[in-house]
Amino acid sequence: MFQIIKNEWRFLLRSRIFLGISIGFIAILIVSVFLGNYQTQKQDQTQTNAKEHVRQQWVSIDEMNPHSAAHYGTYVFKPANLLSSLDEGVNSVTGNVLRVEGHVQNEIVHSEASQMQVVSRFGKLKSSLLLQYIVPLLLIFLAFNSVSSEKQSGRLKLLILQGAKPIQLILSKTFSVWLYGLLLLLFVIVVYGILNLQSLTSEILFRTGLFFLSYALYYFIISGLTVFFSARWQNATLALTSMLGIWILWTIFLPNVLMSSVEKWHQLPSRNEFQTAMDEDRSKGLDGHNPTDERTKALEEKVLKEYKVDSLSQLPINFDGLLMQADEDYGNKVWDKHFGNNRNVLQEQKQSFQLGGIVNPFISLQNTSMGFMASDNVHHQEFLLQVENYRRVFIKMLNDEHAFGGSKTGNWGKNADNAFFRSVPDFDYKPTQLSVVFSNYMLDLALLAFWSVLVFALILFGTKKIEIL
Amino acid sequence: MIQINELTKKYGDATALENLNLKVGKGEIFGLLGANGAGKSTTINTLLGFINPDSGSVQINEIDTVKNAQETRKLIGYIPENVNLYPYLSGLENLDYFCKLAGLKYTKSELEEFLSTCGLETKAHAKKVSGYSKGMRQKVGIAIAYAKKAQVYLLDEPASGLDPLASNELSVLLKKLAAEGATILMASHDIFRVREVCNRIGILKNGILVKELNSQDVSANELETLYLKFMQN
Repeated sequence: MFQIIKNEWRFLLRSRIFLGISIGFIAILIVSVFLGNYQTQKQDQTQTNAKEHVRQQWVSIDEMNPHSAAHYGTYVFKPANLLSSLDEGVNSVTGNVLRVEGHVQNEIVHSEASQMQVVSRFGKLKSSLLLQYIVPLLLIFLAFNSVSSEKQSGRLKLLILQGAKPIQLILSKTFSVWLYGLLLLLFVIVVYGILNLQSLTSEILFRTGLFFLSYALYYFIISGLTVFFSARWQNATLALTSMLGIWILWTIFLPNVLMSSVEKWHQLPSRNEFQTAMDEDRSKGLDGHNPTDERTKALEEKVLKEYKVDSLSQLPINFDGLLMQADEDYGNKVWDKHFGNNRNVLQEQKQSFQLGGIVNPFISLQNTSMGFMASDNVHHQEFLLQVENYRRVFIKMLNDEHAFGGSKTGNWGKNADNAFFRSVPDFDYKPTQLSVVFSNYMLDLALLAFWSVLVFALILFGTKKIEIL
Repeated sequence: MIQINELTKKYGDATALENLNLKVGKGEIFGLLGANGAGKSTTINTLLGFINPDSGSVQINEIDTVKNAQETRKLIGYIPENVNLYPYLSGLENLDYFCKLAGLKYTKSELEEFLSTCGLETKAHAKKVSGYSKGMRQKVGIAIAYAKKAQVYLLDEPASGLDPLASNELSVLLKKLAAEGATILMASHDIFRVREVCNRIGILKNGILVKELNSQDVSANELETLYLKFMQN
């Protein structure tokens, strides 16, 4: 087998067309890695600056009423992940800035896509675009003729006569083409590693390793299947047409059809429905700004009883702060219910979409690629959850200051000092743990492995039916 | 040695070979004459173990080609009408590659010796095969079989498309191989070349060996007359 692989590579290295295409493509890959890295670092720098600016504004507040500060709010930024320079996943459409304030959970804004002139699937030169769409095409063009040319030229007879077995021939040719794909992949990862040498951590290396594994498996599937078709079909055109058909089906048609179906099976409420339901549930709770509200009265009675006083003016604390927090707590429950439901639907959508990998390994590749590069929806949802948790801590601190900061009920003029605002912690994003990521994408990895075994078995058993003449 | 007994092969209703009996001994060159579709290629492919006969037996050095194709292939050198080698490799590299596939490792000088023995000029050894003529490629093809120490040579239309000089060189080479003890079966249209090279000749028509004769017994013209007579009947 080694001799056949060596001979295949001798052909590749001596073919000027192939070398020209390879050099050109490698140049494009380098540019894509550079661009991705540059964009990520630029975004990271912009966000760090903005984050510092916003924090500076916050800690510079000399004095302000805590509840006014809750309305004033602050901003949190989704950190630009170094890994996502290889695959930006959903990041370009999900946005990266979120305003944190009292009474309301805002939506994330300022997505990259919303600021682009043209948004298209093939719009940006990204490493993942080249690795997922273009490299498999290159492998197909490299492999579709590999066995049929031997057959048509009559060399196959000579090879068999010299002792080569059809299975050896097909596997060797598969490995040759696969090796080419692996080298391109390795090239991307090495350039990426060199560019980020100082920032590499064991987690980044491990995630990149899993990223490499996913692509390696997918490239084996494409290479093996193409070489098998090249051996099985009587002419190369048929092998090429079959593989291009599969490529279109896997990369363009099926993911769209499947995503649309999954969205229908597990439907998210429309924005309008969602807002109406939230407002309806919210209206059943406390209104922190309405003292005549019945539920407010009930809370008032409870607090008065607790402090064993008869009126709000006798309370040693500011009841308005408690009221605002109670309003907030109720709002949080409403948010948990509705957003929790949305998260469940999104999780169901993800799981159903993952099962699409049974018929389409490209789906598994896309999932693992985004997942291991921390640019998938799981990471995004985790970020949103952390922001919401932060918002709750943030607003509670302000409400507690309003309630227990020394003012009496109805006193909206009492301000907190600068030391208090400095004591409010900044948002600190904790990256999603690798174990969580791994458990989310083990199925995709397993499906890629399953497909690889399937293709290997196809070569192993299908080779017996291949006609030499 | 080649031994074919009562070999029959049919493709659907069409009979490619019918009760073919043939024996080619060591050091003998047998010429199989016949029109297109007469069954020459089917005979060779059966000997190569690529076609299973419907009935009858085919043996190479007394080993059955159907039951032990891997074994008999080790003994066979096959030279098709067009020896399509790897064009990006030189003649020497092609020979080296095919030898290594057969598990044979030769030094460069040994490989060059094989090529020279088979008539390829030394200055052509290192040149890429893409620049070779048909005759030169055929010499490399024979060198591959020679380096493999093939005991049986099967040639399918070897002289087709060769210029007279190359054709003559081929004849000389085949006679040399036979003199060294090789068994050679050559399928061809070329009556004159067959008459000149082969010891014995068979005329195949519609899968039936209609005539077998010693080449010494007929002149080229007589052979042509005989061949045409069989073809027209």
